[in-house]
Amino acid sequence: MSSQEYNTVKLKKRTGGKVRIGKEIRAWALLIPSVVLFFLLVWRPTVLGTVWSFFKMDAYTPREFCGFDNYIRVLTHTQFLPTLWNTVQYVLWSLVLGYLPPVIIAVMINEMVHFNNGFRSVIYLPAIIPGIAAMLIWYYIYYPDQTGLLNMLLMKMGMEPYMWLNDPKFAIVGIIIYSTWKGFPGTMILYLAALQSVSSELYEAALLDGAGIWKRAWNVTRPQIEGVMLLNFVNQIIGVFQIMEQPLAMTGGGPNGASVSLSYQLYQYGFNSGGKGTGQAMALGVIIFAILLVMTIFYFRLNKRVESRY
Amino acid sequence: MKLTKGFKIIALAAAASFMVGSFAGCSSKDNTLTEDGKTQIFVGGWPKNEGTDKDNWAARQARFEEANPEFKIVPDYWSFDLKSFYSKAAGGQLPTIYGTNFTEVSQIIAAGYSADITDQLKKDGLYDKFNPDVLKLVSSEDGRVYAFPFATYALGMGFNVDMMEAAGLMEADGTPKQPKDWNEVAEFAVKIKEATGKPGIVLPTANNNGGWIFTPIAWSFGVDFMEQDKDGKWKATFDSPEAVEALQFVKDLKWKYDVLPANSIIDGTEYYKVFGTGGAGMLISAGDMPAKLTQYGMKPDQIGMMAMPKGPKKHVTLTGGSVTVVSNKANEKQIEGALKWTEVLYKPTVSDDMKASSIEGMNLKLERGELVGVKSMSIWNTDTEAVKFTNDLIESKANINMNHVKLYNDFIADMGDCELRPEEPVCAQELYSILDGCIQEILINKDADCAKILKKACNDFQVNYLDNLDY
Repeated sequence: MSSQEYNTVKLKKRTGGKVRIGKEIRAWALLIPSVVLFFLLVWRPTVLGTVWSFFKMDAYTPREFCGFDNYIRVLTHTQFLPTLWNTVQYVLWSLVLGYLPPVIIAVMINEMVHFNNGFRSVIYLPAIIPGIAAMLIWYYIYYPDQTGLLNMLLMKMGMEPYMWLNDPKFAIVGIIIYSTWKGFPGTMILYLAALQSVSSELYEAALLDGAGIWKRAWNVTRPQIEGVMLLNFVNQIIGVFQIMEQPLAMTGGGPNGASVSLSYQLYQYGFNSGGKGTGQAMALGVIIFAILLVMTIFYFRLNKRVESRY
Repeated sequence: MKLTKGFKIIALAAAASFMVGSFAGCSSKDNTLTEDGKTQIFVGGWPKNEGTDKDNWAARQARFEEANPEFKIVPDYWSFDLKSFYSKAAGGQLPTIYGTNFTEVSQIIAAGYSADITDQLKKDGLYDKFNPDVLKLVSSEDGRVYAFPFATYALGMGFNVDMMEAAGLMEADGTPKQPKDWNEVAEFAVKIKEATGKPGIVLPTANNNGGWIFTPIAWSFGVDFMEQDKDGKWKATFDSPEAVEALQFVKDLKWKYDVLPANSIIDGTEYYKVFGTGGAGMLISAGDMPAKLTQYGMKPDQIGMMAMPKGPKKHVTLTGGSVTVVSNKANEKQIEGALKWTEVLYKPTVSDDMKASSIEGMNLKLERGELVGVKSMSIWNTDTEAVKFTNDLIESKANINMNHVKLYNDFIADMGDCELRPEEPVCAQELYSILDGCIQEILINKDADCAKILKKACNDFQVNYLDNLDY
């Protein structure tokens, strides 16, 4: 390239850049509030939290660099492994109890001929009840004396009241039942949208080929919503892995630590340690972040695969 | 899409104002002077809602500013809570002065967020008038004072008057029968359950409240939770027969006497709710209990208090209380003003301002339907004019049969052989949390082995907390 050509290209680029900046200034003006919010509420705390996890902390003031001390303290805490196992149990129970109901209900609603809209609205009600209020409702549903709703039913049937959330074997299951009730409407709507985008011609063709209800569900419906199901599977694992508010409000992590999750433990380090555990809270945050990062990468790969289908 | 010029200006202005607004929150409270040169005192815990309480604070502000024209009181609606405290403190956003409890103050002092008020207390002539044991709880090891204690309490037993009456545990004049030891507490609880069908007693078990209430029970069984060796290292020592005996007592309340509620996860809120809604006949509590029961509709005359029972080894109870803390960001003049503001209400001598504020406070309690009749322990080292005035005021405004609280008032006025102990010296909250777990375990598992549970708890406390004390 001669120097004259080079200068021409450079000039064009420069002029083009100015034009682009001029055009983009409006977009930037609209973006800045979100960027500022992201910076203040997400990026800055994430980076600071990671950096400070390597410091001895006086509450929220870093004192001195301590390498991996906070991590060692978190990982050697006698309750770390039981808490990690509790968290895995939350995830497993949420998949067992909470993964299929939204799909099943979405299929049901999709198949309904009458009262489709009304039923959909009623089903969606749990999602619009404020979280703490919903948790309190379930707290009293599970209340372990004769005033608890479930125990009232048991007693009507001539049975003894049960401990419900006071039973260490049931505490996590009980919380997951609540979480499923609260969270399934949102997921169900996603499935319903996917189901409604399935062409009716495919079903008609399957009918002509003599496919029964199960064959149609397996060979027509399933491939169409498989992508969403896959995404929700990973999404649910990521979401439930961070469970905190539910054990905090419903069991206080009890009985005897049976429902403490990693995020709940992080909350305890951060807010109930008199400012002495903030370093450990940040270290545990990074550990959870690392675990979830693996799942998020998996999620994005799946997402890409799913998006390429549509 | 083509944007109009007006829209562009609005978008840019909105973005700019948003940025300014976002960063404005990051500034610290360094506006110590008003334009006319007055020192500003930001006072935390100011009532948010319109009503008598807020009016009383405003009246107190007006009187203070008139008497002290060099100071300007600025209401701050933040009230102390652990969840927001440390982030506010780190951001320099604490009010100049705010109230909290003894339980939290040691952590605040350790984190360096409270101002040293020793010199100002000396200037104000108060330093030597405090009860030295009380002052020690808010002082560093070198004797510097970091908070102003304004109320102290001792744990005693609260009871539901109607349920005690039904169980035949009240004298004709309204004085309760006093359970002398924990065995008698169990007997009382059984009688209440037999008479009313309701649990005879409730104990907290969660959110550190279980451990907090269990410690004085355990002390009375002779338990030492920790000891410091010659090198200054702390060792957990509650893997002991005494601790097993104390935990077994709680276990017996559940499985032998069957006098506890069915719910075994009871935090501080649930604790007072169970009692306040008639769900239990007795509880262990401090003298500030009545204020926590009003919201559940419990009438003042249904509430009573008596002394803490003895244990097999000693008679002991836990002391605590409330303090005001001056922010570490306060300058000397602000410390002076903040303490003056506190001293209006809490001074050994009586002033017109103190009288007016105390009467307003008492009237507010009556207006809210809160019990008036329980007396407080003195923070001063001698009987003072202020204590006498307050106690006389309580008696003149009492809205209950004073015999319902006579045994508690007598108990705190003269503790006799009862030892008054502060919380455990280090990692008290962590200890409570671990004890919560022990209590929950024995309440949900009839076959739980107290010795085994305590052995593990003791080891957890040592490994997770005491071994990391210097960290």
